Amino acid sequence: MDSGVEDVWRRESPHVLGALVRRYGHFDACEDAVQEALLSAALHWPREGLPANPRGWLIRAASRRLVDALRSDRARSDREDAANRLAPSEAPPTDSDDSLHVLLLCCHPSLTPASQVALTLRAVGGLTTEQIAAAFLVPPATMGQRVSRAKAKLAAAGARLGDVTRADLPARVQSARQVLYLVFNEGYTASGGIDLIDVSLTAEAIRLTRELAQRLPSDTETAGLLALMLLTEARAPARTDETGDLVPLADQDRALWDPVLIAEGVTLLEQALPSGPVGPFQLQAAIAAVHDEAKTYAETDWPQIAELYRMLAALAPSPVVTMNRAVAVAMTDGPDAALAMLDPLLGDPALDQRHRLHAARAHLLDLAGRRTEARQAFREAARLTTSTPEQRYLLRRAG
Amino acid sequence: MKYVILIHSNPQPWGHPTSDYVAEHQALPAEQRERLNAEFERLLTEMSANGELITGEALADPSTSTLYRWGGGEPLATDGPYSETKEHLAGFFLIDVSGPERAREVALAFSGPGETVELRPAMWPGGEEH
Repeated sequence: MDSGVEDVWRRESPHVLGALVRRYGHFDACEDAVQEALLSAALHWPREGLPANPRGWLIRAASRRLVDALRSDRARSDREDAANRLAPSEAPPTDSDDSLHVLLLCCHPSLTPASQVALTLRAVGGLTTEQIAAAFLVPPATMGQRVSRAKAKLAAAGARLGDVTRADLPARVQSARQVLYLVFNEGYTASGGIDLIDVSLTAEAIRLTRELAQRLPSDTETAGLLALMLLTEARAPARTDETGDLVPLADQDRALWDPVLIAEGVTLLEQALPSGPVGPFQLQAAIAAVHDEAKTYAETDWPQIAELYRMLAALAPSPVVTMNRAVAVAMTDGPDAALAMLDPLLGDPALDQRHRLHAARAHLLDLAGRRTEARQAFREAARLTTSTPEQRYLLRRAG
Repeated sequence: MKYVILIHSNPQPWGHPTSDYVAEHQALPAEQRERLNAEFERLLTEMSANGELITGEALADPSTSTLYRWGGGEPLATDGPYSETKEHLAGFFLIDVSGPERAREVALAFSGPGETVELRPAMWPGGEEH
């Protein structure tokens, strides 16, 4: 398929799917019909040229196929009610923008976060199962199972687009934000495999979050999430060196940071912060903005970062927030104050990211000039991490 | 997060599923063995349907193994078998689950009498810059 047709498909498929599901229900059958419409488009468009209204063309083609499929299944009892729904009027669905509805459907509470992510990329992002599998470094068959299981679960739960009521909306939008954040994080932290494929998960997450933010202009947390993504992505060119090793924030070449992304992120945040309740994504974006606006690591406004982490710890407490807060406190009050904040975490048997605790302690012990203990803590962190680049970095710091 | 689950066992004779040939497992009441086997099957089916199970292989008798050791400046090949009394690597599963908690739950369900199940996180090529 040539890339022009693929661009149109990627842009239109969630709208087409949304229009069909909204009209007929049956996510799975609708997706099959949309796939068939794409095949038909791949056959006709290169020969006959792109239709004036590609979305309308695809909706008509997919509706025809869906109606045929449901009719031929009419005898089967499990499809009867869908076929009956077709009976009174067979007017095709309208081509209003439905991608937001499909996103909210993909974030149905009956699905696990991993399934929500897979289904969102498939149905809203328009990525192929192979592309999603490559991005998550799992075999296509594995990802195919996740997607089809998720669809089956939606069908079993009787999920329909119209089901999201005004009362459900905040919770559903919240899980949509979480899904988009997971997609972004996966793209940002997993360096392997991504370059081999044509799709960047971070770019995809930003694109979808931008759409969500446009549809919900008064939702300040969604704006905060978009700002966080832009302000983090701005640093991407500086975060690995020529050999692919991770470069910590303190050592990054700030000239490589993307000023356009930073400016957009800061503007979004400045609009969001005063206009609604301040949520965790806005606070994390604010922290990223303070880092992005500092000319050097030493010139960072550490008191402000420490204060923002204090607010984040009050709103969404977690060991990771405590560790990050301690690093900022070390810059304002010295390493001993920061080490005292971390000590209670040492005894927490449930702490899953233990290597991060030891890495933070190692860094603070190093600042305090307690070299022997620092070395020991760096080694402990290196032993516990499962990230290969992080392990190389920590062993280098251990010396 | 990806983990491997390594099954260390010494079935006599060597066979799969290993639990069928392990004395401690054979000693259980038939009813309990059937229940354990059925639970294991159900979990495997569930994990392969939801995409958590990436792959798994049962391994051949350790006596069919060849070991390559460095000696005298060059690799030297020796055949199995190992000692009869120790547990051997009998099979492995590669899983991709939401986190350590789920991994522990799965490994626990894979364990059985007379065998050792090892849960080991896989390293990954990414990381965070903090």
